Amino acid sequence: MPQTAQKQHYARAPGTGSQVTSLVKEAKAGSRTAFEQLVDLFQEDIFRMVFYRTRSTMDAEDLAQDIFMQAFKNLSGLKAVDRFRSWLYSIALNRVRDFNRKKRFRSLFYSFNDSHEVAQSYAKTNDHHEALDNLMIQDFWKQIGLLLDKLSRMEREVFLLRFMDHLSIKEISRVLGKSESTVKTHLYRALQKFKREYSILQLLQEGTP
Amino acid sequence: MSPDRDLHLDEDKLLWAVVDETELPLTLQEHLSTCPQCRAAKERLEQSLVRLGQVAERFAPLPRKRVSLPVEKPSSSIWWSWSRRSYIGAAVTVTLMIVIVWWSALFRTTPEDSEDMLAREMWEADRVMTEASMLVENALPPVYLDICGKSDPDYDEEFMQFLIPPIENEQLSYDAWRGGVELC
Repeated sequence: MPQTAQKQHYARAPGTGSQVTSLVKEAKAGSRTAFEQLVDLFQEDIFRMVFYRTRSTMDAEDLAQDIFMQAFKNLSGLKAVDRFRSWLYSIALNRVRDFNRKKRFRSLFYSFNDSHEVAQSYAKTNDHHEALDNLMIQDFWKQIGLLLDKLSRMEREVFLLRFMDHLSIKEISRVLGKSESTVKTHLYRALQKFKREYSILQLLQEGTP
Repeated sequence: MSPDRDLHLDEDKLLWAVVDETELPLTLQEHLSTCPQCRAAKERLEQSLVRLGQVAERFAPLPRKRVSLPVEKPSSSIWWSWSRRSYIGAAVTVTLMIVIVWWSALFRTTPEDSEDMLAREMWEADRVMTEASMLVENALPPVYLDICGKSDPDYDEEFMQFLIPPIENEQLSYDAWRGGVELC
């Protein structure tokens, strides 16, 4: 893959930058329609971002709703309109952290079964898929879960933001409030661990449709 | 420039190249741009990561419902806020007027009321004057009047005459002492 195309894929953004910026300006000025258009542009990305971290469709839907509500209420506080995307992801990340913290607290009183939750969640939303496909999907998320468990909190976040949420290094540094060199160091360490995960590499090279 | 075989990127350098190629020393950057072997190794890793993102996206479910924004309240519009303010202002004015009218009605005096009031004041003045006259005649309270026997008016006159004889009697007794009684 040519390098330029590669970079474009990593830093993929919904809509063009200028389109998003003008919509953010309109929304800040009080246009509800403009904000609804921003929701249309970013809802799937934010939903997926939350799903990657919670692996529950229901939780991802509820959290996405909360995230956009929070963004809607606090949009007037956004100073740099060209940083809407990283601002939105930072809201999302904080919301997911809160959710996970509460979930950990609740788990002190009763036990969760994440893999079961993922399987159930996916089965509910994709009944039309073949059983074999479902098994493959569940296996994929299981492998991802195993990989992410081996990463530190920071490595996991940087890895997910870069390669699954397609944010640039600059955007990640804004979202996490860390310097770009810190982000790169964590990304490098995460890649070291990823490279050792032969099973997932094999799955990516062969098995996935 | 032919790629130098000794300068091939090791695994760590390859990972740094994936993270950010500009982080590599210039010599390695130049090597990477010319060495097909290193370039292929880097692209293989990058492709795996791109594929990871694509597969994750494909295997993630889609949201079943659209994010709904809070219902737009008409109170947020300028017109509504102004009309609401005017409604509140009108309500306050009407309430004030009612209170003022009620208050004035409460303390309003008619001619009949003033005549009654005058008669009441005159009766009160009479009562006060009567009390004052009684006090001028005898300022002692009833308890002291009982003690000194003044509560009985008949006895009182005799008693007083006994205690303090009239002046004529005094003059008579003085004249008698001087040389006999001379009756006029």
